[in-house]
Amino acid sequence: MGPQNSYGRAKNKKFAWKEFRHSIKPYVWPIILSVLLAIGSAMSGLFIPKLLGDMTNIAVSTYPEIDWGAISGKAITVVVLFCIAAALNYAQAFILAVVSANYTKDLRNRVLDKIGRLPIAYFDKHKYGDTLSRMMNDIDVLTTSMSQEIADVSLSITMLVGVMTLMLTISVPLSLISFIVVPISVFVVGKIATFAQKYFREQQATLGVLNSKIEEDYAGHVIIKSNSYEGAAMASFGETNQKLTRAATLAQIFSSLSFPVTHVFTNIGYIAVCVLGGMFVIEGRMDIGSIQAFIQYVSRFNRPITEVASTVSTIQALLAASERVFEFLAEPEEEPDAEPALTVPNVKGEVEFHDVCFSYDGTTPTIKHFSVKVAPGTNVAIVGPTGAGKTTIINLLMRFYEPDSGYITVDGAPIREMRRSDVRAMFGMVLQDTWLFSGTVEENLRYGKRGATLEEIKRAADSSNVEHVIEALPKGYKTEISEDSDNISAGEKQLLTIARAMVANPPMMILDEATSNVDTRTEHLIQDSLENLTEGRTSFVIAHRLSTIRNADLILVMRDGEIVEQGNHHKLLAAGGFYAELYNSQFAEN
Amino acid sequence: MLKLIRFLKPYWWRVGLLLVATGGQVYATLQLPALMADIINNGIVVGDMDHVWQDGWWMLLLVAISAAASFAASYLSAKVGAYFSRDLRAAIFAKVLQFNMNDMKQYSTASLITRTTNDVNQVQMIITLMLTMMLRAPLFCILGLVMAIQTAPEMSWIIVVGITAVVASSAIILSIVGPKFKIFQGLVDRVTLITRENLTGLRVIRAFNNEELERKKFNKTNSELTRLLIFIDRVLELQNPLINIIFNGTSLLCAWVGLSLLNQDFAYLGNMTAFSEYVTFVMMSFLMLSMMFVMLPRANVSAGRINELLKAKDSIRWPAETKGVPEKQPSVEFKKVCFSYSDASEKVLDNVSFRAEAGQTTAFIGSTGSGKSTLINLVPRFYEATSGEILIDGINIRDFAKDDLMRRIGLVPQHGVLFAGTVRSNIAFGAPNASDEDVKHAAEIAQATGFIGRMSGGYDAHISQGGTNVSGGQKQRLSIARAICKKPDIFIFDDSFSALDMKTDKKLREALKPVTANAVVLIVAQRVSTIRDAGQIVVLDKGRMVGKGTHQELLRDCEVYRSIVKSQLSDAEYRKEIHGAAK
Repeated sequence: MGPQNSYGRAKNKKFAWKEFRHSIKPYVWPIILSVLLAIGSAMSGLFIPKLLGDMTNIAVSTYPEIDWGAISGKAITVVVLFCIAAALNYAQAFILAVVSANYTKDLRNRVLDKIGRLPIAYFDKHKYGDTLSRMMNDIDVLTTSMSQEIADVSLSITMLVGVMTLMLTISVPLSLISFIVVPISVFVVGKIATFAQKYFREQQATLGVLNSKIEEDYAGHVIIKSNSYEGAAMASFGETNQKLTRAATLAQIFSSLSFPVTHVFTNIGYIAVCVLGGMFVIEGRMDIGSIQAFIQYVSRFNRPITEVASTVSTIQALLAASERVFEFLAEPEEEPDAEPALTVPNVKGEVEFHDVCFSYDGTTPTIKHFSVKVAPGTNVAIVGPTGAGKTTIINLLMRFYEPDSGYITVDGAPIREMRRSDVRAMFGMVLQDTWLFSGTVEENLRYGKRGATLEEIKRAADSSNVEHVIEALPKGYKTEISEDSDNISAGEKQLLTIARAMVANPPMMILDEATSNVDTRTEHLIQDSLENLTEGRTSFVIAHRLSTIRNADLILVMRDGEIVEQGNHHKLLAAGGFYAELYNSQFAEN
Repeated sequence: MLKLIRFLKPYWWRVGLLLVATGGQVYATLQLPALMADIINNGIVVGDMDHVWQDGWWMLLLVAISAAASFAASYLSAKVGAYFSRDLRAAIFAKVLQFNMNDMKQYSTASLITRTTNDVNQVQMIITLMLTMMLRAPLFCILGLVMAIQTAPEMSWIIVVGITAVVASSAIILSIVGPKFKIFQGLVDRVTLITRENLTGLRVIRAFNNEELERKKFNKTNSELTRLLIFIDRVLELQNPLINIIFNGTSLLCAWVGLSLLNQDFAYLGNMTAFSEYVTFVMMSFLMLSMMFVMLPRANVSAGRINELLKAKDSIRWPAETKGVPEKQPSVEFKKVCFSYSDASEKVLDNVSFRAEAGQTTAFIGSTGSGKSTLINLVPRFYEATSGEILIDGINIRDFAKDDLMRRIGLVPQHGVLFAGTVRSNIAFGAPNASDEDVKHAAEIAQATGFIGRMSGGYDAHISQGGTNVSGGQKQRLSIARAICKKPDIFIFDDSFSALDMKTDKKLREALKPVTANAVVLIVAQRVSTIRDAGQIVVLDKGRMVGKGTHQELLRDCEVYRSIVKSQLSDAEYRKEIHGAAK
């Protein structure tokens, strides 16, 4: 109860429901079976109070010479019934557990598969945390509430119908009294629940605000301290904290009220049954065993009702989760590769941009009429201020994004007509972001080429100047590393990503140089291994280092999505244009 | 967990009232079956309708009492629970604000956030449960037992059987499943990790065409998780049917034994029904308590993490008032300063001494791990020097009151840090009384007027949490403006210019000159170009000061400095520099 309920509501219930129904299709038969078992289990349990009442009746009517034979007959039936009920209940629960576990597995596999198929643009627009929470939380909510609902609803409805029938067979007037009380109680509880929902939502929203505040203040800890801002920060925190407290109190009060309210109504019904039942027995219209049975039924009658009432919020949570999961699965995927696809058998490495235009949002152009021809083996340095579109060139080359107009060719073949995997296999990529997955060093290096032998890997590590770093690690190539592991430094990670590209040994290279946070010695090593990597290959480097820029065969100077100048270092410096200005401001020589 | 109970102290009378209300509610609820037994025994069996009615009214009264008590209990527990977590959160937040950098590093920001948010939520959930169920369950247990034994003493052994069965079945199931939960959590973490890696490594995975490999890796862990989940469920799902058997069995036992006692005393006809209800109450309470035992360990982990934080000693003590008279001219002086993160670890700074005067720039350069960032963080006491002295304006920094010291310092960290608010509120962050003029002037020097002008709203433009709606370079310039606006005596730039492009960097340094004419400027830099004009450059290598002097002097005398310069220049340029220095 509580936070899960305020999970949110589905915007498009129809969609959420349709997709959900569609997704559980493979499990329809086990689900039906478990529903039948649940009904069976509930029905066998139903007769127990009546049989217990019968036992009392036999005892009272044969008193004082109690007929133990008849009573033990009933007792044995009771034992058999509750054992059957339990067995069916377990079978039902077990089938559902298997169904929901497998359903969860399938959904998770589908989501991961989808991550691999969505265009990069999707993830540039959406936060990782959002996708992650669809994968973990939403699927969790979806499957648990599904299995819970199937069992609860079928059990509750069977119980409800069965109990009502049995109550009616015992006494019509008493039943009517109990029946009247219930809808009133459900109505009142429902009203209270909507209040609780409202405050739960408010609580969640305030909690979100407070969490952001905490995150911000902890991240800016240094600034708060050095500006003596603690008092103000504390006051602002206190204000939100107080707001949260108010919402939390109200939410908690309203949600916990439903218990005493139900209790009051249940008990009023209970008293009515006791008093009126007593009257009926005295008047001889009912026997004492029936009264006992009836009282038991009244208490069993209430539970399924509150459960059915609570399904409303569970189903809401289910639909909201379902919407988030299936919305993600329905996102448009990358366009399929052209068939039949072009292939370039022996890549020479001639790359040409033909009047390429590109914009991320469809309105503001990032790349404008970009044309350049790069001869095989050329080392191209791309320079320019932040936001000039340097990274976009890489995105287009790797086909992470497609140009809006114009095209790119490799050895004369347009890359758009090749398979994406073939295009990407032609390029090795080393990015600023030194992503390594959690696994051993060896596994990470082999990531570039699955069949690579340890020999090949060692050779690549050696020419990437990372051999000595790996050897120094406690378990050498078998050392476990991860994205945020701290047993190796940022610079060393960079060297590993270079080695990884080296193992792949592609005909062309794309590099985005890291800027800061690398010490001078490591920087030397990185520079040296990058030179090894680009040696004799067509390479595109987003350059931040002067040495790289100076040694490049061709420098493309970008500004606002256009190439404003191109040539080698000396030629550009002599021209005294934008490049010269950029260069001189970095290291003013006078 | 128990240690956090002290946060309930201010609300002790509410907790007391809660106890009374809960007691009243439990007592009233438990009287109902007794009255019903009375209806059967002294009303129905005897045929006394008046007695039935009389009991009926009593029952109604009890229901009213129980309802009132129950409402009061709901209100009180909600209030106490919410106040408890409010105070806890505030205590943690205040504690973290007191932390210095060493503490922050030790716990990591992410973990501190989790402790203030998730962990508090976990604890709050348990506290609310404790205030409602945990109070009610034992009361139900005890009073239920008393009532049951009073009603039918000869049948009390049935309670023992019932409770034993409930406890035993729960214990067995938990002991089978319990150890698996840890493995389960591990697998869930692994599934999360692989998903996260697939998101963060999106480009790399595609560049290497490894989507299929990742999918296989995920499928494998996912299947493992599924298998374990099915195993756990197979055992856990036993709980429900078993409990049903136990409850039904106990009812049957009550009926059987009750009927067999009828020959002794006909009152057992009503009593056995009441008794059977009491037994159900008692067993339910035990079931709830056993549920608490499942939840408690999880909350205990959270409580432990919170406690660890609250218990942490204040690593820095500030005097209430500044002792000593500051010199007229601002200055910063290090005298034989050493620093290490803990007693055992290696020295990060080893015997560093220098004096930085007003109107002069003192720059620090060296490779990663040379200690240059740590050094400047000693000035605002973010770290505490292990030995040696640091003097500001001639006064030991340990003798400054906190605000007195901070007032003198304008700090610009490596990564621009902004807060939700407006451009103006961010620039005036350290100088709440700054005029519009001051804010604009600061923005001008920081080369920020251009993009501020382009933002909708200008100086009143909204800055989102953490400054995510401005670029890295813009964040950095606003951070610089914030320091300027404060008009400090000591500027500290911790590698603050690296996010700027080279042109802006140069312009900004030019504009800063008049502002810093009477201030001490401490700069940590990567680029030699940023600091070559500095009056004094301190070269650090592995925590030791290996050179101190001007650019020219260091080029002549300092090997480490030369190698740094060399790595940033071409051979020809380097030769020219060396040549210039030699003259």
